[in-house]
This record gives sequence, structure tokens and C-alpha cells, in this order.
Amino acid sequence: MLSQQLFNGLVVGATYAIFALGFTVMFGVLGVVNLTYGFYFSFGALIALWLTQALNLPVWASFLIAVLASGLVAALVDSLLLTRLRRARAPELASLMVTLGATLLLYSLSSSLIGVEIRRFPAAAINASAFDLLGLRVSMTQLLIVFAAFAMVGGLVYLIQYTRVGLAIRAMAERPDTIALMGVNAGALARLVSFVSGSLAGAAGVLIGLNYNAIQPFMGEQMMLKGFAVIILGGLGDARGALVAGLIVGMLETLTAGYVASSWKDAVGFALLVLTLWIRPAGLFGRATVKRA
Amino acid sequence: MNSRTLIAAALLPFAALWASAGSAQTPITIGAIEALSGPASGYGTAIRNGFDLALDEVNKAGGVNGAPLAIAYEDSGGKPDSAMNAARQLIGSKKVSLILGPTLSTEMFPVGPIANERNIPIVGTSTTANGITAIGPYVFRTSLPEADVVPVTLRAAKEKLGVKKVAVMYGADDAFTKSAYDVMKAALEKLGIETLTTETFGAKDTDFNAQLTKIKGLNPDAIVVSALAEAGSGILLAKKALGIPASVRVIGGNGLNSPKVPQVAGDAADGTLVGSPWFIDKPDDANKKFVAAYKAKYNQDPDQFAAQAYDTLFLVAGAIKAAGGADPRKIRDALAKATYSGVMGSFSFTDNRDPADTSGVVVIEMKGGKFQILK
Amino acid sequence: MPAFLDDFLFTYESLVHSLGVNGLLALSMYVVLAMGQLSLGQAAFMGIGAYTSALLTLNVGAPFPLVLVAVMITPALGALIIGAPTLRLSGVYLALATIGVGEMLRLLYINTPLFGGALGLSGIPRLAGIIWIYGCLAVGLIVFVFVARSRVGRAMEAMREDELAAGAIGVNLPRYKLGGLVVSAAIAGLAGALDAHVSSFISPAAYGFDAAVTILSFALLGGIGSPFGPVLGAIILTLLPEALRPLQDFRLVVNGLIIVLAVLFMPRGLLAWRMGRLAARPGGASR
Repeated sequence: MLSQQLFNGLVVGATYAIFALGFTVMFGVLGVVNLTYGFYFSFGALIALWLTQALNLPVWASFLIAVLASGLVAALVDSLLLTRLRRARAPELASLMVTLGATLLLYSLSSSLIGVEIRRFPAAAINASAFDLLGLRVSMTQLLIVFAAFAMVGGLVYLIQYTRVGLAIRAMAERPDTIALMGVNAGALARLVSFVSGSLAGAAGVLIGLNYNAIQPFMGEQMMLKGFAVIILGGLGDARGALVAGLIVGMLETLTAGYVASSWKDAVGFALLVLTLWIRPAGLFGRATVKRA
Repeated sequence: MNSRTLIAAALLPFAALWASAGSAQTPITIGAIEALSGPASGYGTAIRNGFDLALDEVNKAGGVNGAPLAIAYEDSGGKPDSAMNAARQLIGSKKVSLILGPTLSTEMFPVGPIANERNIPIVGTSTTANGITAIGPYVFRTSLPEADVVPVTLRAAKEKLGVKKVAVMYGADDAFTKSAYDVMKAALEKLGIETLTTETFGAKDTDFNAQLTKIKGLNPDAIVVSALAEAGSGILLAKKALGIPASVRVIGGNGLNSPKVPQVAGDAADGTLVGSPWFIDKPDDANKKFVAAYKAKYNQDPDQFAAQAYDTLFLVAGAIKAAGGADPRKIRDALAKATYSGVMGSFSFTDNRDPADTSGVVVIEMKGGKFQILK
Repeated sequence: MPAFLDDFLFTYESLVHSLGVNGLLALSMYVVLAMGQLSLGQAAFMGIGAYTSALLTLNVGAPFPLVLVAVMITPALGALIIGAPTLRLSGVYLALATIGVGEMLRLLYINTPLFGGALGLSGIPRLAGIIWIYGCLAVGLIVFVFVARSRVGRAMEAMREDELAAGAIGVNLPRYKLGGLVVSAAIAGLAGALDAHVSSFISPAAYGFDAAVTILSFALLGGIGSPFGPVLGAIILTLLPEALRPLQDFRLVVNGLIIVLAVLFMPRGLLAWRMGRLAARPGGASR
């Protein structure tokens, strides 16, 4: 039973990690608490669902299109709403407020268009039935999520650490006001970062939708609070941190539910969030870049 | 009244303007407060569909007392504040003589006293929590409280399936599933069924593996679940995936009696046991006619919320007819005495304005995606 | 009183109550934002006040004025515990810490029978009313207007505009920030208690993340240049959903759109003038 619980924790942790990945990039690099992030997660899942159901596309094709579409929506929202505020050097809180309004708008628009009941991918779209593996009950979608968590983090770390674009992104995270002087097109870079994190959100939405069969417009909003805990614990803007923190939160939650009391399962993430801020606000992997007052 | 008089003086000119804007209408209008937007809009929309379908039939048959019946809907978004404003709007400005709704028990707790204070009857069709009708003499409900349904289901499980020890799972953060759990706990104790463990989850949770893995290790005869359709479907899927045998059935509250469950959970839903006065394949003519008409009008299957609303509107129309007019006090008295036989079976109110007749409750099981009566 | 007038008041009674309560909540948000800090714990502080007051009234039968004193103390203590370690950090971190605390409190209410679980507490006597609510709001506004004109107010404005410089010229930053958070929590607690005693029902769902964000939006829409801005924002955002009620399904869409447009075209809020400046001008010498 313990091994099964550890596997359960691994899957939940990977789920949190892939959700938090794009969020931590958006927050860490652009410096904005962009509340619309959760919507791109829902959007990816809904688009992929529509493509598989209405157009009968295979799951992998729907996945790719949905990932691109979520990225484009994220870039569009960023350039429509945030570019303007960045240019006007509006206070940090104004950007938070504008994403708040946009979040309300996007969620309520999608829920009034398609309703809030949960949907699932057609059972034939992917073989989701569980099987025995080394004494554990596992399913393909669970293995896919765990694999995807590591692959997505690996890809992102490569992009940020070893490419020219990554160099610019790191520069933007450090000194957003001076990168323009270094010949970087700051507006285009912000849109690119939004596109990447929106795509990551969309990918997470499709994968999690495939595994849990509960796709609905508000699914992203429900992940946001856990997302906050994970990105703080992992350190803002740190992809590896998101993975490790996601796994820690998922594992501890599962063990709490399995061996302590399921009613306190959800308290784990928030307790970790508060403790991190008290003890080590930079998070597990954060360098000492936390703005101290 | 002091503060009101004070404000009254200040607002007099506006109020006069406002009062002249309203004028009497020919149809008899009743109000309805439902969650038509936001996360609870699934229930509110089904209820509105049920009302509207019945309203068409009532008006086709000549309305009430020679006048057509009309429903003024107010959207509460599932929020208590908004529901309170909606109730005051309906009573104070639209002058309705009866209110249907609101959708959630957490809305009825603040809204009930407002209607009661103004002697306007208010009829909840989906508010199952304990203490709803204790708010006051004008507060009615047509939904069977879980206290009438759950014990029947559990007794059938014990007698027909030999269930002796169970694991319990319930949604702790939702008023509907929490009050159903309270009833389950009492009924399990009364029937002498052993509870091996009690696990909770959140209404919006999607992962139940931790709880179910623990339950699997305890080898219960059945799992008693108080959940809405969303979480319930997730539990059924995870139960099957974790390899808990199909012979360990899920025994649900009313929340699992929804067409959504087999749609999402597929064959993992087979064997689910629920008690209810209504299910979609209920074989009588009234129900067949209702289901066909609902599908024709809305292009989807009705759920129990729609069925409950459908019957309630006929009951209310009958009471308004019997009251002979729109006087809310007379409607209240007529409602207290009203009887009606519809898709849920025969219906009347107890002295406490709860449903009196529980003989229609049958225990049903899911087989091949459809509910049928447990033999 | 004529019947139509009585109906008019009846129709808008809850709305008038919400306007006042939300005005108080906006003021509580103002205190924190005016010092350049961000808290998403106002709903949690409100919840502490609401639950404290409901339990005192229902179980102890304490007199109402005494209850109102108690509901300012309990959330203030909570704010001390949360704020002391996190206020060392920049604004966003306090916001996230308060989200965490808010969610833990929600779980506490849900899992503790004393707090009534998910069903909450009902049957709370309606002891508050328009006079209590608007009395508290008026006192709050007057106090803040005087504070804004004082040395404290100027220090707060300095912190908001440039925290480093404010610290350099001798503003005791930690003490101001913590003091601000504590006062803010006390006001939010008061608002929660007044709300509980007019709506007669409280449940954990009302004090979650959504509520915190709504309270924040009051202050941001109105602007934090003066205490009147947030109150104006609260009035607009409380009336808006009611005014848009006929739009039914698309109400929230329009609500969101209005927030977006208001912020994009008025990033400093609707009331952008600054209290400190205005107060300083007549004498000239006070600066």
C-alpha cells in the first residue's frame, strides 16, 4: 500500500509541476502575477477536447494544436493588456488588476458559452485503462504525466540556460528596464515568454484532462492556489524548482491523506507556502534575488 | 424601523419616481432565483429548463384562473449576497406572490428569512440541507431531504447485498454533500453497519487515489459516497483504475443520480447504488412523456433537478389556482394543503412543509450506463 | 410610511447593507495598499471577524458593542502573526502568504464542528443595521482623512512612492507596515461581523480567494490616492452586478470587461487625486 501511495503522490506531484511550470516562468520573468494563467490551462484542454470530438482528430494532433492555440491566446492577452501598462510604467498592482478583470471575463465568457458541467475525452481517444506494473496499479495517462513533467522541465531548462533567447529571457528577469539598451526587442520577448508559458499551460491542461476526465472551464482556476504554493516553494522563475516543489507538495498531500487525515490534505500546500515565506522566501532553488524591503 | 425612516426621508423623491415606473401586468408572475451563471449554473440551468417545460404545458392548458402564468428569473450566480438582492427585488419591486428557488442551501439560509418576513411563500426545489424549512412558516421545499432517502438505500444494501462493513467518503466543503453525509453517518449507526474509515475530499477535487488506496487496503464490502456528479464520477473512475473489485459497490446519495455520471465514468459506474424518487428510465407514462418532451425541447437528458422543478411548477400552479388569486397568504395555505401526482410520484407537504410522501423512493442500480430498479 | 416607499426600502435593504460593508472592506484594503503593500488576506480577516462575532452572539450571548470590540482584536492578532515575518519581503510575498493563511482558515472552518462545517452558521440575530454599518464607515473615513493630513499620512505616502527613500529619511518601515496590516485586519474583522449580523448567515465559501480578489478590486478600481477612492470603487463594483442583472449569463463577462477597461485607461484608479498634497497646499509651510 505504501508503494502505491508513493506512486499516487508522484502522479499528483507531476500534475502540480506541469501546471506550475509555465506559471513560474511568467511570474518570474515578466514580474507580473498574471491571474489569466489558469485560463490557458482550461483553454488548452477544452480546445483539444473539441478537436477530438468534433473533428475526430487523433489525440496527439489535438494536443499540438491546443498547445499552439493556448500559447497564441496568452501572447495576445499579454500584448492587448500588459504591453500598454508596461510602456506606461503603471504600478505593479495595475497589471495584477487588469489580469484579474481579464480572468473574470474569460472564465465567465467560456462558461456561459459551453456550460460548466464536466466533460471527458472520448474513451476511445486514448487507452486509459489501468494495469499492474511491479505490484502497482498504473495507467498510461499517469505514466505520460510523470514523463511529461520531466521532459517539459528538461526542455525549458535547456531553452533558458543554453540558447540565445534564453540568455535574453534571463536578462529580462534580472533587469527588465535595461535589456532594451542591449538591443533586445523587449516587447517581442515578453510576447514570446507569454507564448511559451501559455503553451506549457495548454499542454498541462490537455495531459491533466486526459488523466482525470474532468474538463470544464473553471479547472484552471482550481489549480491556481496550488500553483502559488508550488512556485513559491520552488523559487520564482525556476523550472527545476517547480518540478521538485510540485513533487514535494503532491507527495506530502498524498501521504497526509493516506496516513493522517484526508480532511487536512489541502492544508499541506498552504502550510508549506507560509513556512517557505517565513524561513526561506527565495524558495528551494531561488538565489538571493528576493526583493527585500 | 428608525434607520429605515431616516433613509426613507432622504430617498423619497427617488422612490416616488421609481414607484411610478412599475405597472400592473395581466399574467400572474411568480419569481425564481436560480444560479444561472458561475460554477453552480449546471443545477440552476437544469431547474430553469424544468420550470419552463412545465410552464409551457400549464399555459397551453389555459394558465391559472384564466390568466397566463409567467416566471421572472433572477440569476444569483450561486452567491448568497446576490440571492438576497434578487429576493428583495422580486418581492419589493416585481411584487411576485411566490418565489421558486434558490438553487443552493447556502443561498436559502439568508434568503428564506427575507421571504418569510414579507409573508411570501418560497419553494426550494433543490435545497436538501437540514434546517431549511425550520426558517419559517412560508418556507417550503419539494426536494426530499436526504434523511428520507439514504436510510432506504442503506437498508437495501444491507438486506439484499449483505453489506456489513463500509468505507465512507464525502465532500466536506459543500453544504449539500456534507448534510447528506451527516444523514449517512446516522443511518449507518442505526443499521449496525460498521464504518471502517471516513475520508473527505473537496467538491472540486479531481484526484481521489490517496483516499481510495487507503480504502482498498481495508477491504470494505461497499463504499458509501456523498458527492455531486463531478467528484462522484472521478471517484468511480479511480476506484476501477485502482483495481477495487466491482463487487465492492459505490452506494451514493442523491448527487450521483445524474446522467452525467455514466457519461463521464462509463462502465466504471456500473453497480452504483442510489435511492431516489426519480430516475430517467422510470417506467411510468408521466415520466416517459416528460423525458421525451425535455429531450425534444433542450436536446439533452433531464436530470433529477429538472424533474423536481418540473413537478414543482405544476404543484405551485395548482396551489395558485386553489387560492383563487395572487394573495401570497392564501397561496401559502393552499400550498400547505396541495397534492400533486407527477413524474416523481405522488406529492404532498408535511406540517413542517417538507415532502410527506416517501413511498416513491426506490433503490436503483447502474447497469450498462442506465439506472434500473435493484431487484 | 407609504407602502411603495416601504417596498422600495425593502427591495434595496440588502444592497444598502452590502454597500456599507464593502466600503469598510475597501477601507481596510486601502490601509495596506497606501503603504505599497499587498494583502490578499482581507477576506480571511473578515471571516475571522464574522465567525468570532457569530460565536459570541450565538453561544455566549455577549452584548453587541462588546462583540464589535472583540472582532477587531482577533483578526488584528492574526495579522500580527502573519505580518511580522513576511513584511520584511516585497509586496507580492505578503500577498501570497495571506492567500495561504486564508485557505488554511477555510479548511479549519470546514473541518471543525464548532464553526458549522460547510453549512456555516445560520440564525444569527440581525443586530447590526444601517446606522451601525454607516456609522463605522463614517468614523473610518474621518479618521483616515485626519491620518492622511498628519505626519503618519505623509510617511505612508512617502513609502508608497519610494520605499527606499522613505526608509532613508527615517520612516520606521517595519513598524508602519505591521501597524497598517493590523489596523487593516481590525477593520476587515469589523466589516465581517456587521455583515454576519445583517445577513444572519455565514459560511466558509464567502471568505475564500474569490472574495479576497473582489476586495482588492474595489481599492484598485477606485484608486488609493485617498481613502475615498476605494470606497467609491466598492460602491461601483457592488452596484455593477445588480445593475447588470438583466443581462443574466453575460453579467460577469461585462463586469470583467469594465474592470479591464477601467484599469487600462485609468491605471491609477478613478479618484486619482492625492490626499496628502491637497492637505499640504493651503499652509504651504507644513511640507
